[in-house]
Amino acid sequence: MTVFKTFLKVLNKCKFVIILYTVILLTFGAFNMTTSENSTNFVASKPDVLIINNDENVGVTKNLVEYITNNSNNVDVKNNEDAINDALFYREINYIIYIPQNYRQDILDGKNPEIEIKSTGDYQASYAEMLLSRYINIEVIYAKEIKDEDKLIEKINNTLAEQTEIEITSKLDTDSLSKATFYYNFASYSILAGAIYVICLILSSFNETKIRKRTIISSMNYKKHNRILLISNALLAIALWIFYVIISFIIVGKTMFSIQGVIYIVNSFIFTICALTIAFLIANLVNNKNAINGIVNVIALGSSFLCGAFVPVEWLPASVLKVAHILPTYWYIQTNELMKTIEKFDIESLKPVFINMGVIALFTIIFVIITNIISKRKRKIA
Amino acid sequence: MFIHNFKYAFKTLFRNKMLIFWTFAFPIILGTFFNLAFSNIENSEKLDIINIAIIDNEDLKLDENKGIKEAFEQLSDEQNEDRLFYTQYVSEEKAKELLENDEISGYLIIEENKPKTVIKTNGINETILKYVTEQIMQTTKIVEDLATEKITKEIQSGNIKIDYQKIYQDVLDIASQDNVKIKNISNTNLSYTMIEFYTLIAMTCLYGGILGMTSINNSLANMGEVGKRTSVAPISKGKVIISSLLASYITQLIGLAILFAYTIFALKIDYGTNLPLIILLSLTGSLAGLSLGIAVATLVKSNENVKTGILIAVTMFGCFLSGMMGITMKYIVDKNIPIVNKLNPASMITDGFYSLYYYDTFDRYFFNIASLLIFSGILILISVRGLRRQKYDSI
Repeated sequence: MTVFKTFLKVLNKCKFVIILYTVILLTFGAFNMTTSENSTNFVASKPDVLIINNDENVGVTKNLVEYITNNSNNVDVKNNEDAINDALFYREINYIIYIPQNYRQDILDGKNPEIEIKSTGDYQASYAEMLLSRYINIEVIYAKEIKDEDKLIEKINNTLAEQTEIEITSKLDTDSLSKATFYYNFASYSILAGAIYVICLILSSFNETKIRKRTIISSMNYKKHNRILLISNALLAIALWIFYVIISFIIVGKTMFSIQGVIYIVNSFIFTICALTIAFLIANLVNNKNAINGIVNVIALGSSFLCGAFVPVEWLPASVLKVAHILPTYWYIQTNELMKTIEKFDIESLKPVFINMGVIALFTIIFVIITNIISKRKRKIA
Repeated sequence: MFIHNFKYAFKTLFRNKMLIFWTFAFPIILGTFFNLAFSNIENSEKLDIINIAIIDNEDLKLDENKGIKEAFEQLSDEQNEDRLFYTQYVSEEKAKELLENDEISGYLIIEENKPKTVIKTNGINETILKYVTEQIMQTTKIVEDLATEKITKEIQSGNIKIDYQKIYQDVLDIASQDNVKIKNISNTNLSYTMIEFYTLIAMTCLYGGILGMTSINNSLANMGEVGKRTSVAPISKGKVIISSLLASYITQLIGLAILFAYTIFALKIDYGTNLPLIILLSLTGSLAGLSLGIAVATLVKSNENVKTGILIAVTMFGCFLSGMMGITMKYIVDKNIPIVNKLNPASMITDGFYSLYYYDTFDRYFFNIASLLIFSGILILISVRGLRRQKYDSI
């Protein structure tokens, strides 16, 4: 009990760190949880387009503006050039269309006026450009033959109204699943950084030379002392894990009550245990509290950046992902990513999940073995 | 005496491994991570060639659907610069399997002369597939429309000998013309991941404050034995403090120079082309960091750990607001509560680099420089007031 009480005392001193990493997780979790409606009907992706209309908003010009507005998201940006440029740089807008003066008259005269645009060059912008090109093309073709404005508009709109039938096969609630995946991917950082940092700090407090000497001469068996320390730290890690799981239920909601939810939870548990063994390894290697801070930051940030906890996996270069195979976080995140697409749950489809978990378990065992070897050596020296 | 103290302050700072790790090595490590993680983002946001399938059934071979087939063939042509698709012609079962395994974004099936698109989920690739199919149908409609129009005109004008073949050909020509005149006037410097590296520079400038703080702590009597010894030395306090601060400012600049060299030559970060202005911004940025360090060291009456904690927390929160943990954060703050980022030194530095990179004019850049100078000036003034006339009867 003495050991456990001391443990709690030291833990109390570290509570700020735990709060810090939890706040980070919550901030980013909530940041990404902007609700978008899930639907199994087709919803066209809409680019963010801004139209600067220098012409009068009537007739064909009005019709163009309406067509683009209906097929894109309206962005509210202050009408000054700097604000617009900022919005484009930070991708709040993908595409800006500048409708020139006299556009309507030029079209009605059968001319083909040039339109200036600004584009971010990404896929949304490419799609916005497709929308604009299609409209202009149809407009110019008809304008050559039809001189009456109302008839022209009617023709254009009739043509654009041609639609194809569309069928969606997946019944998965992908939106909510990506949220859960994002949350659990990000949690890997909080678990790794939080657990390792706190556990290392606590262990290094117990390992201070004076305190260690006092423990060794006490009547308590050192095996018992170590066992209690191990159990207390495991309890701490598990408490942290339970805490993050509860938050996930609050943030993600009903998706967590599914088979995917169970796998997310089991997966994060295995990962937490792995983080625990990493913490023991580092605590055995390093005793300097300041150095621990540096090492934990490098390990946690490194794993998170390289394995896709911060940046979605599909955006990472292939070479980085290859290197990431040597980190436990990679296997943890792979399982989370799989959850987004698996629809059937049987032995065959869950095989990769089991492999990933097996690899993490293997990492755990390796860390335990290395820790034992190192601590045995250290004891001999002491 | 000035030189003497400067030399030893310099040595003390360089021998402090933890300080050097956080101010020199950590930004470089973080920059490497940024580079590894973000190097591909902007490329993956470009429109890739979309994998699709078309069901190879009897309907596809019909003459009425020749247009659709040809259009997709053209859009899947490897020679075509505007290539959009990689198209496979397969049976319906095979297409379903491909779709299930995410090997294609969707497939097109023509039944009873109507094309139908089957997709798995919503998304941009799916939207484009639907869009292109519709465009092809619309072109067909234009041709029909125009042909009808022309024929009606011919009949109305009393022409009996109508050359249907010619009209049809004319209309096809008109419909296949590319009438789109679009001129892209956007700035070429649009790489928004640069912001990450600018915040990294900002972080390094402000972290440098730890060096200044350590120097001040070493000359404060209430902060330890070294401070007591320094305080009783027969040398004016101004000399001691200014020489130690100069040492830490130079240390800070060395760290920053290493980071610049690394990001420019190894990571290929673009800071714009105006070198003197980049250096000016780095100097003022570091000065802001230094003054922040001095202010924390003087005004916070507590032990060194608390001071370091406060400095790191202020720096990291400032970097968070200027976009280090998510680039859009800077934009959200700039747009909605601009006053916050006008007071935030990390954001002034980041915004300074951003305006050099993205804008042609320098107004915004110099506004940031001025803000940084004012920020540093105020903090230094307050610190000087706090540092003067400290006396201890017993300590």
